[in-house]
This record gives sequence, structure tokens and C-alpha cells, in this order.
Amino acid sequence: MTAKPIIEIKDVYKFFGDLAALSDVSLDIKQGEKVVIIGPSGSGKSTLLRSINRLEEINKGSIIVDGLDVHDKENDINTIRQELGMVFQSFNLFPHKTVLENLTMAPVRLKGMEKEEAKAIAVDLLKKVGIREKANVYPSKLSGGQQQRVAIARALAMNPKIMLFDEPTSALDPEMIGEVLDVMKNLAREGMTMVVVTHEMGFAREVSDRIVFMEDGRIIASAPPEEFFTKADHPRLKQFLDQIL
Amino acid sequence: MKKEKQVKIEVTDGASIPDSSDKGILNAWWVSFIGAVGIISYLVITKPDPYRDILLFIPDGIVVTFEVTICSIFGALIIGLFTGLGRISSNKVINLIASTYVEVVRGIPLLVQLFYIYYAMGRVLQVPDMLSAIIAMSVCYGAYMGEVFRAGIESIDDGQTEAARSVGFNKQETMFLVILPQAWRTILPPVGNEFIALLKDSSLVSILAVADILRRGREFAAESFQYFETYTMIALVYLLITLILSRAVSHMEERLNHYDR
Repeated sequence: MTAKPIIEIKDVYKFFGDLAALSDVSLDIKQGEKVVIIGPSGSGKSTLLRSINRLEEINKGSIIVDGLDVHDKENDINTIRQELGMVFQSFNLFPHKTVLENLTMAPVRLKGMEKEEAKAIAVDLLKKVGIREKANVYPSKLSGGQQQRVAIARALAMNPKIMLFDEPTSALDPEMIGEVLDVMKNLAREGMTMVVVTHEMGFAREVSDRIVFMEDGRIIASAPPEEFFTKADHPRLKQFLDQIL
Repeated sequence: MKKEKQVKIEVTDGASIPDSSDKGILNAWWVSFIGAVGIISYLVITKPDPYRDILLFIPDGIVVTFEVTICSIFGALIIGLFTGLGRISSNKVINLIASTYVEVVRGIPLLVQLFYIYYAMGRVLQVPDMLSAIIAMSVCYGAYMGEVFRAGIESIDDGQTEAARSVGFNKQETMFLVILPQAWRTILPPVGNEFIALLKDSSLVSILAVADILRRGREFAAESFQYFETYTMIALVYLLITLILSRAVSHMEERLNHYDR
């Protein structure tokens, strides 16, 4: 497959004061590819993910998503973001809206979709994430796992080309992690392009096409999972894997 | 799971809002309320002249006081919204304008502001008395309301903004569809409090040619020379109104607290 990558991250630097949160990061992600980013906390993995949809500004370099420079002020970031679904560690559902409204709000407002059509799509998505019956409740009535599945459905409601996951299971009780990962696995099977920051090594091994290891704002290793786990030759990576496996 | 932040904004210039958990009859609110009702009844029954006459003379003024208060609170809410947004704006110029407005208004006594706007606007721009009083009150209270809005908006988790921006909402959509509807819960109680404070301060407009409660009282006193009796009644009427309103605000706070959908 020689298609142009759908995400091109090139020589990106990001500073918080003197601290380089990202330094010289380059990464290409192809359409349909599932990339898992791992690394110790403070390694810049979340910052990298968040700069893909410009929740973080970068200081140098470029990030091209589907042909458009995300950090170019000339481009309408709001339109670009519609192509980039984002799922957060803390879910961030809108608490003043029902589950269904959480899903229909953006498509109706931003895509001019008819309410009924948006509802039908939302119901389908809720079925897909397994909580059809919760459509009319408020998010505070849901468990963490359910909230995160709604959050995934909300992101999917905009029919994005790419899904970004920022530690989607880190805030969940252990018994709820599985249900969220299952939804993500289904999504991967359907061919969605996914960039996932996570500590779930099982998920990385099973689902990803490539695992990227970051430390101190740099990408230290990047390889398909089988190679990644067997040939972890970098000492820092070895140490990290020893700690979490 | 993250706990929703429940921030309470303390505003001290309103009436003291009764603590809704205090259900006993021997609390300050009930003592004041029964006392006020009792004294008014006693005076009106035992000394209808002048007390009944005073009481009958005031209602027009109560209507005007509420007109001024309600119009001013709406004016203050609108000004407050924009001031609050200005105060959190990343645009340095807008931010500076909003902050300067708050600083200036807070630094000038309300009475002086009233005179200023009344004479400047009323005389130069030919604005009617009532309207210039309302504008003056709105401008003054808008500054305080701006702080209430700012605190309310800042009480909402950043994650909400990030989530809204991530689905593609622009800044304005994020503010009006996601942040403000949630901030409203935090903003409403202090707004109720400001309403009471504003109602009391509205007595200042009696100095201008606006026939509110106090103005009506002054008119009565000037004709009858019964100053002590008139102002006793005026004080009791104001007290009764603010007591009833503070109870209403307390109920509203209670309902908002229990409202965890």
C-alpha cells in the first residue's frame, strides 16, 4: 500500500516553558492503520495525540491530516476536527444533555442534519456500543464504562475518518475496562483509522498494526507488535516493558 | 469517575439567605418575618391613622420598585454576561476593557453613579427618568454580575470545552451550547442574591424623580409631617419584601442542589 498517509506528523516540537514536551517527533499514519502510543507518564504521548486535533498548539513542525495542515491558521480547525473523533480519559460527556442529545447535538448543529435522521444514526451507534436502552437518561446515571462507550458513540456520530483515544480506560474501574476495549476492537475491525494512547498492552498486542514508544518527548521505538515485544532492544523500552508486563 | 465540581459563589451584599436545613421556627428568618408581620398588623389595627394611610399610600411605589429591580436585573444580566465573557477572553483588548469597567464601577459609589448617569444621560440625551435610573442600576450591577458569570464559567471543567471543541464546535457554540447551560446552575443562586441586593439599593432611585417605595414614603411624610411613622412603615415593608425574596432564593438553591439528574 503506497497511499499517502492520512496523518503526517513532521519534525514537531512543543515546549512548555523550557521543557520540551515534544521534540523532533515525526510519524506517518496510513488510512485504516491502528497505532498505539505507549510510554511512561510525562513522555509526551498525550500531548502528541492532542496536537493532532490542535487541542495543543505546537511550536515547530507540521501535522497534516487528510491533506490539511492542522496548525495552519488559514485552515478552519473546526472543520478539520469534524474528521477527528476524540475520546478522553475522563469521558467529558455533556452532563446537561441526555445520552441521545450528546450524540445528536453536533451532527444537527454542524452538519445541518435533520433531527430525526441524527436520532436514527445515534440509536444505531448506541446499539453498536451496547447501550441502546440508555438513550434517554442523563450521563450522571451511567457507570464509567457506559459513559466512555457513549463518548465513543458521540465521537462516531460525526462520522470521522480518524479516531483519537487519550487513555480511554485509565479512569475506569478494572471490571469496566473490558467493555470499552471490546467496543474499540470492533471499531478496529471495521477498518477505522485509530491512534490510541494507552497502557493496555493486551489491546496493543491484539489490535494494533504498530506500537510507538515515547520517552522524554521523543519517539524511541516504533514497530509492529510481534517485533516490538520480541525485539525490544532499546534499554529504556526494555525497562518500561518489564515494569508494566 | 470524576466528581462534578459544585462551586458556591459567595456574595455578601444581598440579604442573608436562610439556611434551608434550618427548619426550626426559632431562627432569625422566622423571628424577623413574624416580627415584621406582627408589628405591621399591630400598628395598622391599633393606629389606623396614620399607619393604615401610609400602608395604602405605598403600593404604587412597590410596583415601581419591582419594575426598576426587575428591569435592572435583566440589564445587569446582559451586561454581566458580556463582562464575564470579556474577563475570561484571551483577547487582551477585550479583557482589558471588561476589567477596567469592573474596576471603575466598583470604585464609584452607586449613588454617585446614579446621579452621574441620571444627569448626564437624562439631561443631555433626554432619556426618561425611569429609564436612566434603570440604566444606572444595570451598569453598576452588571459589573458585579460579570464576576458572578466569570466564576460560574470557570467552575466548569476544561474537559467540557475540550470535548465540545473536539466534535467541531467553535468557541461561541461551545460557550452557549455547552458551558453556559451548565454554569447557570452555579450562577443562579448568586443572581437571586444580587436581585435582593439590587431591590434594596433601588431605594436610591427615590432621589431621582422615580416614585418607588421610599419616594412614596417621602411624599407622604412631606405632606403629613409624620416622618417617624412613615419611615417605620417603609422599613418594615422593605424588610418584609426582602425576607420573602430571600426565602424564595433559599428554596431555589435547595432545588438546584438536589437536582442531580
